[in-house]
Amino acid sequence: MANLIIDGKKIEAREGTSILNASIYAGIKIPTLCYLKGVNDIGSCRLCVVEVEGIEQLVTSCNTHIKEGMVLYTMSNKVVKARKMMLDLILSNHRISCFSCTKNGECQLQSYCLEYGVEKSSYEGSRNIIERQVIDSHPFLSYDSSLCIHCQRCINTCSKITGRKALKSGKTGMFTVIDAPFGADWKKTLCESCGNCAQACPTGALSEKRRKEYRPWEVRKVLTTCPHCATGCQYYLVVKDNKIVDTEAFDGPSNKGLLCVKGRSGSFDFIHSKERLKYPLIKNKATGEFERASWEEALDLVASKFLKIKKKYGPDSLAGFSCSRSPNEDIYMMQKFVRTCFGTNNVDNCARVCHSASVAGLAMTLGSGAMTNPIYDITHDVDCIMLVGSNPEEAHPVIGMQIRQAVANGTRLIVVDPRDINLSKQADIHLKLKPGTNVAFANGIMNVIISEGLEDKQFIQERTEGFEILKEIVKNYTPEIVGEICHIDPNQLREAARMYATAKKSPIIYCLGVTEHSTGTEGVMSMSNMAMMVGKLGRAGCGVNPLRGQNNVQGACDMGSLPGDFPGYQKLKNPEVVEKFEKAWGVTLNHKEGLTATEVFPAAIEGKIKGLFIYGEDPIVTDPDTHHIIKALENLDFLVMEELFMTETAQFADVILPGLSYAEKEGTFSNTERRVQRVRKAVELDGEMRLETDVLIDLMNRMGYPQKHLNSAEIMDEIASLTPSFAGISHERLDAGETLQWPCTSKDHPGTPIMHVDKFSRGLGWFFPAEYRPSAELPDDEYPIILMTGRILYHYTTRAMTGKTPGLMEIEGKSFIEMNEVDASSLSILNGDRVKVSSRRGEIESTARVGDKVSPGESWMPFHFTDGNPNWLTNAALDKYAKIPEYKVCAIKIEKA
Amino acid sequence: MSKHVLEISNNANERFGKFLTRFQRRISAYPPGICPLTVQLSLLQTSRNQTCGKCVPCRDGLLQVEKLLKSILDGNATMDTLDKMETLSELIRDTSDCAIGYEAAEVILEGMEVFEDEYISHIQKHACQKDIQQKIPCTTLCPAHVDVPGYISLIGEEDYAGAINLIRKDNPFPTACAMICEHPCEVLCRRNLVDTSLNIRGLKKFAVDQIPVDEVPVPKCNVSTGKKIAVIGGGPSGLTTAYFLALMGHKVVVYEEKEKLGGMLRYGIPNYRFPKVRLDEDINAILSTGNVDVKYNVNICKDNIDDIYKQYDAVYVAIGAQVGKKLRIEGLECGNVISAVDVLREIGYEKYPDYSGKKVVVIGGGNVAMDCARSAMRCRADEVTIVYRRRQDDMTALASEVEGAIMEGIELMTLQSPIKIESEESGNCVALWTQPQMIGTYDSAGRPRPIDAKKDMVRIPCDIILIAVGQDVAYGEFEDFGIPVYRKCIITTPECSVKGKEGVFSGGDCVTGPSTVIKAIAAGKVAAYNIDEYLGYHHKVNCDVVIPEAKLNDRIQTGRVRITEREARIRKHDFEHVENSISYDEAMQEASRCLRCDHYGCGVLEGGRD
Repeated sequence: MANLIIDGKKIEAREGTSILNASIYAGIKIPTLCYLKGVNDIGSCRLCVVEVEGIEQLVTSCNTHIKEGMVLYTMSNKVVKARKMMLDLILSNHRISCFSCTKNGECQLQSYCLEYGVEKSSYEGSRNIIERQVIDSHPFLSYDSSLCIHCQRCINTCSKITGRKALKSGKTGMFTVIDAPFGADWKKTLCESCGNCAQACPTGALSEKRRKEYRPWEVRKVLTTCPHCATGCQYYLVVKDNKIVDTEAFDGPSNKGLLCVKGRSGSFDFIHSKERLKYPLIKNKATGEFERASWEEALDLVASKFLKIKKKYGPDSLAGFSCSRSPNEDIYMMQKFVRTCFGTNNVDNCARVCHSASVAGLAMTLGSGAMTNPIYDITHDVDCIMLVGSNPEEAHPVIGMQIRQAVANGTRLIVVDPRDINLSKQADIHLKLKPGTNVAFANGIMNVIISEGLEDKQFIQERTEGFEILKEIVKNYTPEIVGEICHIDPNQLREAARMYATAKKSPIIYCLGVTEHSTGTEGVMSMSNMAMMVGKLGRAGCGVNPLRGQNNVQGACDMGSLPGDFPGYQKLKNPEVVEKFEKAWGVTLNHKEGLTATEVFPAAIEGKIKGLFIYGEDPIVTDPDTHHIIKALENLDFLVMEELFMTETAQFADVILPGLSYAEKEGTFSNTERRVQRVRKAVELDGEMRLETDVLIDLMNRMGYPQKHLNSAEIMDEIASLTPSFAGISHERLDAGETLQWPCTSKDHPGTPIMHVDKFSRGLGWFFPAEYRPSAELPDDEYPIILMTGRILYHYTTRAMTGKTPGLMEIEGKSFIEMNEVDASSLSILNGDRVKVSSRRGEIESTARVGDKVSPGESWMPFHFTDGNPNWLTNAALDKYAKIPEYKVCAIKIEKA
Repeated sequence: MSKHVLEISNNANERFGKFLTRFQRRISAYPPGICPLTVQLSLLQTSRNQTCGKCVPCRDGLLQVEKLLKSILDGNATMDTLDKMETLSELIRDTSDCAIGYEAAEVILEGMEVFEDEYISHIQKHACQKDIQQKIPCTTLCPAHVDVPGYISLIGEEDYAGAINLIRKDNPFPTACAMICEHPCEVLCRRNLVDTSLNIRGLKKFAVDQIPVDEVPVPKCNVSTGKKIAVIGGGPSGLTTAYFLALMGHKVVVYEEKEKLGGMLRYGIPNYRFPKVRLDEDINAILSTGNVDVKYNVNICKDNIDDIYKQYDAVYVAIGAQVGKKLRIEGLECGNVISAVDVLREIGYEKYPDYSGKKVVVIGGGNVAMDCARSAMRCRADEVTIVYRRRQDDMTALASEVEGAIMEGIELMTLQSPIKIESEESGNCVALWTQPQMIGTYDSAGRPRPIDAKKDMVRIPCDIILIAVGQDVAYGEFEDFGIPVYRKCIITTPECSVKGKEGVFSGGDCVTGPSTVIKAIAAGKVAAYNIDEYLGYHHKVNCDVVIPEAKLNDRIQTGRVRITEREARIRKHDFEHVENSISYDEAMQEASRCLRCDHYGCGVLEGGRD
């Protein structure tokens, strides 16, 4: 600690603290323009200068550290005079157009000029001789050089924080210019349109174009959680006249003040979309048309119809799917509704088709199916990241940005992915393995670890079981054999094993490339096998970390929307658990394990499932083998949809109940790192849409279950009362600013950032003995190419939300297929050609993107686009544990269209 | 009043002189990466200010050229502006009365030619070309881009091991560069604006003198990658590649022709300049990575090169420039006429010739010539004379080397072009005949051209003639193997890869021709990273050194610390290191002079450093 005196005030501060921060702690304000915490302390605006006793020149407080005995003056005459002149000079090159400027009222230059009484510049600017340029071809972002004060905040944000380096500085003679990637060729630049640069800009120079639609004093801001991927970014919805007009990042625990393009620009247009469903709809059986109905009519029909089916075919002929985009409270009520009113455990959520394998697999081996460590913990101060089947720069962009930061700071990166994802360009090693060979890869890694004696013997001995059996299995997976199976260099496999095993801190981060296989659960368990073998669990900077897909898919599983689990993964198999819920809910519950979502469709085709309640899912678009889904839906007696939009699946419904989006209700989402975060109501829109929980409560009462009316906070209290891992979680605590990761077992429990610290949830960690099995459908002469599917940065699954933002559609709006140049040339296909893509299950058209991102014999498609959705082609082969379908491997053929 | 008076002291000219010095200092510290058009503009403004106002073209024309140039910089020009500027400049060049005018115009015209792409970029895109950005001078001008301000600040904090490891992040030869680097880093040092550039090499020398570098552990290697890379040639470039590849986890085998590593550092530079024991410190540290094997005494030729190519995942060819160039003069075949490289190689083997009682003549003006001459002196020669065609100022040897030679009693005979060697009956040389020269007009590259001064030939009696007029690359076997050669050097891409020979990379003197050690090291580093990438990796090499916080610039003029040398009269009799060490106080003062351009100014900007 150092003692210093600032403006006569005695202060003690840590050595290495900047004068600026020491002053802030002491409650002394120093003006700054170019300074941005953690991003920029280049000291260019010179506004933060202070006087230091004994030093003639003025000193920049943002980047000068305090020293013992320093005596500082932050508002001396000399300092104030310098600041005024500095503002005068800055203003000489800043076009004063506050009246029309989008930042009017929030411009830092404006507010300091006001504070220091600088109304206009007394100098003629030197820069304004240079041609003024406004660069604004980009759909969201624009740059006006005449407003730019060249503070470099945008550039350092883009290079150091997002790690993208799309925004650069250039020169014109002696002037530095911002080379903003928003010009006519913006599509060809590296820009990811995240807009973090615009948020960093202190003036109106670099801004989101939509700021023109509001003035800061006209809006209110509502802090909430982003509804896209499960990173759980915290941000404000900016609301003007009951309309969301913008977003603003908040410094949340997982996003650290960052947002991606979907969060910043694609998370509110859909709320106000004209396509929103506003009234309950009942299908007229005669005409096949939907007709507007009252809530009374609709709910009466739904309740009576389900009761009738239940009576006639039994409770297990009904099923319900919860919405992984909806808050925990909605999901809890949904599974309660299915269990108490349908009387079945046929309840599931879309985790089934993304990370059910993680939930099942990690629960089997570790005792808990979730990310073991926080995002911050595994992306900061770690030695090596093993990234398997995950493309976070596109699917979890804010995590991707943090991984890029880590790599830039020297963290080693092992990318295991069949594609040359962008991160592979910075990877120490890229194992470009053949799709569907993860288990072989992991066994190969463990073979090397054991044969080179790199395993953590003590950890294995004290904390695990099953090692010997696994050891026997992996013995056969020599690097050479694995190299052949996975199409990788055995040496690179060896190196990856050594690198991972010997790193002090090394997390495994994985995603759907591991889970979406007919051996997905075994793939997941292979991940925990690897981590346990080297003792990299229960420690900071390590663990096994599935990046969950949807904003609340973690919560959907946590809330017991699973056929074998009550909330908090309390097992249906355990009679005590069932008894507890029977007592709490006051009903007798069905003890039979339910069907998974992927089993419901075949069961519907077989006539075993007659009635289905789908809350916010669109399986026709998202589930594999579309023909088979349509057949199942057509075979149902009664389908009810709770929806925001008339989706493709909704077309098949008998009744559609209009719901509310995340911005119209209270609740909580659990992000991928088990962090429960608040969702808050920002707007109330015209129409008869109702809170889903209210609708469910009405239905429960109509179906004979007496459910008292509860609001969202009260529902969370019920969840806490029945779920040990959520026992300490309440809206009250969250609203007080606490951030809680489950398990949070009591009102004074701080939550659990890192799991399995001294003991696995399961007790001993289990090494699952997994053998490699090839994918269910392999390429052959007729269908010679492997198709993988996935997501792109600019869209979210069905595009129900992102598709309503025109700018996102402008950036990427059409189906495409990535294929290797070798295959393309043998088929005479050129980049940009239309192609016909077919499998045993269907045929679509798409546009070829030819290159070497995928290996020869392999191809890749996003599933967002209806003009060529690969789910017509994908194979519904299921994993035997989690019943997850094999989206990542099916055999196709590609022809010139 | 008399017409004849003495100038009073402290008159305008005298006062003005002080400012001129500052002006000169500012020019001598012109930051790298500046837009050339702004430099042209500054020069033009200076020229215009120098006009006496007599003649039209200079008085009025230069101002108009300046306006045209400004309009280009302001983005208000068209290609017509360029034509106008050219025509006007030509007029000024052709019609000016004195050099103030015509030289100014000529510079503009030449600049318009050399920087044509830059002019066009400004006219068409209203911006500089992409690579124009001001950067930290020392780090940028160091071919290996060593973090100079970083290690100087570590030395200032007495963290010598930290400094050594920070240097090693880019250059595994801290000792070699401490002793003999030509320190291009110092040329544009910003400290020149205040007084004079930092003695960067001196500080590095101080650091390696405090702890031998082989006592500072190298970073831990990455785990083994299983890849094997052959490095042909164990000189600075080859060993640099080996070092970085080893840290990346690759296995490296160095094929060395001689019995020890070091290349020209051992077999070219005499011990008094760079003691062999100190060279061993660098080499020991490099070998301490544990991933480098060396095969000594292996001559690479067409018999084994194919095998090596097949056996390894990549090959780095760094064979240097080891063959002495020949002079085309009569009598070259006489006895006791020896190539400099051969003499220095023998001395490198510690086989010192005995020149006692002999007169030695060294032909050449480069560092090798100085090395030969000073070594000959140490081999007890009676007289040593350096014969050079041009003037002392034109010598390519470092000024300090020439000065050292003169102090040791070596005679410089400049402006003497060797014509023939006279021999006695035994066949041994007895004299060198030279033709006195004068410097005529400069050649197109601006190099002084010696021409016959039409004086009588000079006879320089001598017993030994050492020819130090450059070296060539022994590329023959490699050309046969399929490596392309142009003008006696191997051709590579800027990534050091050899076209048409997949997996083969090359760098150092064999690509550039005889050059400085730091350039060879830079090539070795570039090659290592590109070999790693070629093999499908992007391995990181971290050094885990935290650079100390920048202190406030001290703005007071302070003297540059000099590295002193042992007394010439003593040192010329031995091969012991000539340089004295610098003291703690000297080092600390010197380190404190650093203006920390990595913190102050452009160094903190994105892209502000290489």
